[in-house]
Amino acid sequence: MSEGAPFDLEAMRARLANEDGPRLWRSLEELADLPEVRRYVEAEFPDIVQAARIDRRTLLRLMSASLALGGLAACDGGSAGKNAPLLSQSHTMPGHVPGVPLTVATSLPLNGFGRGVLVKVQEGRPIKIEGNPLHPASLGATDVFAQAEILSLYDPDRSDAPLQNGVERTWQELTGFIRPVRNELVVAEGKGLHILMPPTSSPTLLRLVAQARQLFPLARWHSFSPIDDDNRRAAGMTVFGRDVDLVYDLAQADTIVTLGGDLFAEEPGHLRYAADHQARRRLRERELPRLFAVETRPSLVGTRADERIPLRPRDVEAFVESLAATLETGSAPVGSHPSITRIADALRKAGSRSLVAAGREQGSAVHALVHAINARLGAFGTTVRAIEPVRPLASDVGTLADLAQAIAAGQASHLVVLGGNPAYTAPADIDLASLIRRVPLSLHLGQHRDETAAVCHWHVPESHPLESWGDLSAFDGTVGLRQPVTMPLKPGLSADEFLGLMAGQALDGRGLVQGTWREAWGEGFEERWVRSLEDGIVDNSASPPVDVALRPDWKPEPAALAPSAGIDVTFTPDPSVWDGTYANNGWLQELPKPLTKQVWGNAALIAPETAAIFGLSSGDAIDLNVDGRTLRAPVWILPGHATGAVTLTLGYGRRQAGRVGNGIGFDAYAIRSSQRPWVATGEIKAAGVRIPVISTQQHHSMQGRDIVRVVAPDQNLLPDKANPSLYPDWPYEGHAWGMAIDLDACIGCNACVIACQAENNIAIVGPEEVAKGREMHWLRVDRYYGGDPASPDTYFQPVPCMHCEKAPCEVVCPVNATVHSSEGLNDMVYNRCVGTRTCSNNCPYKVRRFNFLDYQGTDVSAPSDLTNPQVTVRDRGVMEKCTYCIQRIGTARADARIEDRPLRDGEVVTACQQACPTKAIVFGDVNDPESTVSRLKQSPRNYALLGALNTRPRTTYLARIEQPREDG
Amino acid sequence: MSSEAIAVTTPVAEVPLSRRFGRVWWCALVVSGGLVLLLGYTLVSVTILGVGIWGVNIPFVWGFDLINYAWWIGIANGASLFAAILVLRRHDLRTAVNRFAEGVAFFAVICAGIFPIFHLGRPWLFYWTFPYPATFEVWPQFRSTLTWDFWAISTHAIVTSLLWYVGLIPDLATLRDRARRKSVQRIYGIFALGWRGSVRHWAYHQRAYRLVAILVLPLILIMQSTVAFEFAVTLVPDWHETRQPLHFVATGLAQGLSIVLLVAVLLRSGLRLGRYIDEEDIDLLGKLVLASAIVSGYLFLDEVIAALLAERMAQEAMLNRMTGDYAGLYWTAIVYSVLIPQLLWFKAARNSTIAGVFVGLSIGVGIWFDRFSIIVGGLQTDYLPSISRNYQPTLAETGLFLGTIGLFAALLLLFVRFLPVVSMFETRHDEHLEKSS
Repeated sequence: MSEGAPFDLEAMRARLANEDGPRLWRSLEELADLPEVRRYVEAEFPDIVQAARIDRRTLLRLMSASLALGGLAACDGGSAGKNAPLLSQSHTMPGHVPGVPLTVATSLPLNGFGRGVLVKVQEGRPIKIEGNPLHPASLGATDVFAQAEILSLYDPDRSDAPLQNGVERTWQELTGFIRPVRNELVVAEGKGLHILMPPTSSPTLLRLVAQARQLFPLARWHSFSPIDDDNRRAAGMTVFGRDVDLVYDLAQADTIVTLGGDLFAEEPGHLRYAADHQARRRLRERELPRLFAVETRPSLVGTRADERIPLRPRDVEAFVESLAATLETGSAPVGSHPSITRIADALRKAGSRSLVAAGREQGSAVHALVHAINARLGAFGTTVRAIEPVRPLASDVGTLADLAQAIAAGQASHLVVLGGNPAYTAPADIDLASLIRRVPLSLHLGQHRDETAAVCHWHVPESHPLESWGDLSAFDGTVGLRQPVTMPLKPGLSADEFLGLMAGQALDGRGLVQGTWREAWGEGFEERWVRSLEDGIVDNSASPPVDVALRPDWKPEPAALAPSAGIDVTFTPDPSVWDGTYANNGWLQELPKPLTKQVWGNAALIAPETAAIFGLSSGDAIDLNVDGRTLRAPVWILPGHATGAVTLTLGYGRRQAGRVGNGIGFDAYAIRSSQRPWVATGEIKAAGVRIPVISTQQHHSMQGRDIVRVVAPDQNLLPDKANPSLYPDWPYEGHAWGMAIDLDACIGCNACVIACQAENNIAIVGPEEVAKGREMHWLRVDRYYGGDPASPDTYFQPVPCMHCEKAPCEVVCPVNATVHSSEGLNDMVYNRCVGTRTCSNNCPYKVRRFNFLDYQGTDVSAPSDLTNPQVTVRDRGVMEKCTYCIQRIGTARADARIEDRPLRDGEVVTACQQACPTKAIVFGDVNDPESTVSRLKQSPRNYALLGALNTRPRTTYLARIEQPREDG
Repeated sequence: MSSEAIAVTTPVAEVPLSRRFGRVWWCALVVSGGLVLLLGYTLVSVTILGVGIWGVNIPFVWGFDLINYAWWIGIANGASLFAAILVLRRHDLRTAVNRFAEGVAFFAVICAGIFPIFHLGRPWLFYWTFPYPATFEVWPQFRSTLTWDFWAISTHAIVTSLLWYVGLIPDLATLRDRARRKSVQRIYGIFALGWRGSVRHWAYHQRAYRLVAILVLPLILIMQSTVAFEFAVTLVPDWHETRQPLHFVATGLAQGLSIVLLVAVLLRSGLRLGRYIDEEDIDLLGKLVLASAIVSGYLFLDEVIAALLAERMAQEAMLNRMTGDYAGLYWTAIVYSVLIPQLLWFKAARNSTIAGVFVGLSIGVGIWFDRFSIIVGGLQTDYLPSISRNYQPTLAETGLFLGTIGLFAALLLLFVRFLPVVSMFETRHDEHLEKSS
């Protein structure tokens, strides 16, 4: 696609792209004789041409180098030569030392919002993603999606060539076809052109959209995301008279009331919110914050609530109305929920330091009331701030329904789908797939040949966010620059580049982004650009708060009449695959969902009481009927779910996700309507069949044992009795590593699990193997319930290897394959392991994982390019387990030795610790009484799991703190 | 050797020396040979693909492998303990049953020995449990019960085979002497180690035979205890019991005796050896089996009492074995290994071939279920409820088990075909004693 190359690079690339590796090398000499190759070599290596005589061997050596580079360049869809060396490398050390990984700061999108990340690049291969401590949406932590994005980058199912009606075409053919079409459209001012794209926060993309709109003034733009914030924004318009985004400051909040949604998992600032809330809980000077969660489906924030009120969606509006009325009048209206007085009291007591937050699935009336309550409490300015929308939409941008109407009316002659997968995610009442087929010319830009690609005339591969330039704004408006962390693994265009081409710009991703910021910064651009790339954020770019005030004429609408019959069906993004974007990601598919611990599929979540009414048990199929559309799904009985409601998670039942994600679970979009995308009313009936639901945890109660301990705010745990041991103590002269996990901080988000998987090359085993109980995660998060199943207490407990001081596994291994290290680690020597598995038998924590089969070579396993070279890939037949990230200890020790200084506390950060948003996991030297981990282990909340067995674990837990219940 | 003495043992010696052996034998060999092929197939596939083809998982890292191992070891131990005691006590019964009791023990050890090797994740490295001078000077972990087990089973195999072989030497010489063909004569001759029947030979032989028999006694206790230690030393609540070795030794004895009874009854009717294995022998054997079954019954009771006295986790674990998902295994074990053998209180049952086969099988089956209940049912209750799962054996595991049964049967069949199943020299000795008295 790049024009005016000095020689026929395209033909050369085409040739190389069509060659496979081994043939390439065999045909080297033959290839070297071709005139265009000679020209290429001359251009790349003028020295060769200048040197009068070059012996054949030297020529071939240089040739092989250039062809290897050429091979890489051949993968690039056309922007080769424009990829300047990666700029940011300063997070580990100045300059690049071979073998030492580079760290590159960039941003990753989730639902259009950016999260800052640092990508570890080993010899040109990105291998691990960490949070960017400077980025407000990360603070160094990551969520599961950011962790797993690296696997998506290497996804072999990503599209690598343009398709025309399903037939692969070259990029030249695409250009040849599309250029005249574009020119015609320019002449026609874009008449008949419709563009559908997900909402974006990228300043560059927004700038390019604006440019394209000038060029195609008659084109219609549409915005669609299945996970939309329409209700909240509509409420903002009604209550404040302006479109705003809300940013919460949980560090300031003394009383928090959440109404559905999930502050700790689904909001764009979820990592920050979880971190802030925990920081607030850790403040000794102030009383513990109070958290109330009113919700249909148990959420992560709900599990941490002091009081959870399970409520059907249809009852939420009345609940909020009563709450507002109680706050207004001082006494709860007759017949309102018994908890309302308590909540209102807590809110009033906290005053402006209180916060009410509603999830995106709530209706605009609920959001409006919430806005009003927050305004009345004075929360705006302390715990909430309104900012200009981070993903702004021009007023004339249409919806998906508008697009459907236009196509149906025959007004759309050209359709461009810029990212997203609307043919799959569209509500069922808009049959977008067949509508798109009716458009005379349609084009889809996407990373996969997905459901949308299948119905469009053209499909253009989109580059992965880690392969291309761009920028993204975070939930609070802070801009993070996006830069490629690798040479493109597959040829593709970013949305920026595509729109840039449409708007007549050159194909130069970096230039487009630079253009945006050169305009914004003016003088001193170069310096600021480099700094922003290095930091990953544009400093001081957070959106300033805007003043909002209740419109004087606003009055709460009278509550809509709740339907009296039927069951409420709510939809929610899936904790593992989001809206379906991550369906082809094996790590995420195999990640046990926080509450159900389900893997490789979704389920209809129902309350135990609902299950009793319909005579269902987990795994029984039900037929859901919503507005005449039906869906068959297995149920999962979720304690704490509201009765009379069923929750469906989106993102499954993909038909064209790829080899990993196809045909997993059921497609909840099939009964979603555009009118009521979040809550619908329907019927369910037992289908009389079973659909297996794979879950990694089948027992949910602690059975009266003190596995997760709980204390009241100022209460101490009784110290465990120290037992004697037959074996002498190990001496530790240097370090003695240990870990403390604060169960009061753990929100069960699973980030640690995926971080561990990515860091330690942990295999994906596939659904059949997990069903047999053979998942390989070194770190699991156990979830226990206590109390009444209708509204239980939920406890999360991450369980890595305990690295016991008196390790039971060590004495039973016949071949000494698991041994104690001089620094207290319980080391696993893979080479020595013969696979008796007796160590697992003797491990009371059952944290050891066995390679029952060759899991590294299956269809679902991660590609070897992603392998962390510092961690052995385990063979079939050996045991493996958490090593406390021994490779990170080694790296830190080497660094310290090079600088001739002792290791500092906090220098060794395990992968799980690094990912944790709430800093629940702390690792360090327990020989050093001043280290953070030592101090935590001195805490009166510290206890050893199963300490009575005298294993003396090095991983200890800090008891969870719970307020005594007010309602008794 | 008097001609009369030759005549006494002719039917025994005729069996291995005859050219034809009847259809039944051939059919049985074909069936068991088929099972041996199945064994080969399952072993090759588990070596190539890994133990993942079994139903094992975390926490059930051991399934049929250890169940069957413990079961075969039980048979081997019971049978060889029985044989050794008979030799040492010079009991009359030894004439009749010693030879095949020793054989049963040896073949069972062979079957048992397959499992600890092939259940490994990387079976080709099994020799790492052996303290050989490796380059890196890594030694086995001597605190591990699996290392003890390695020594126990190799010692067991050596001693059991010695007991069997030493007892065979004079009879091999007899076969050599009576063989009609040169080649057969040569083969028996090699294994007879130049036995000429001199008084000195007899004196040495008696000493050696009794010495090996004495060796068996402590070994049996050690072997079964070591198997039991593999469970008892772990922290698994149901396994962590000092009574475990006793349970394994005593129930293993019952199981070994029952298999001896089963084989004795089958041989007696199959090879028409009523004269050598007479009714009295079978009656005595039946009483022994009954006694051992009663001891097993006591141990099942003891298990419950011990659990009641133990801490809460052990109580829960025992209760779960009796009432949980795997309760069927536990109760089947009790019915088959304790209740059904009570039939042997009746003399008629003790003398009946069918009852002998039935009870012999029943105890074997019962103890197999007991091992299943201990290894799988016992593991179900652990300290962290989050890890609780279930175990279901796969076809590959079942095939492996059937395969070892086939191997056992095939070895027995070859044994009865090529070697004297009743000790000829002991028989002659007995006849001689009878004559002289």
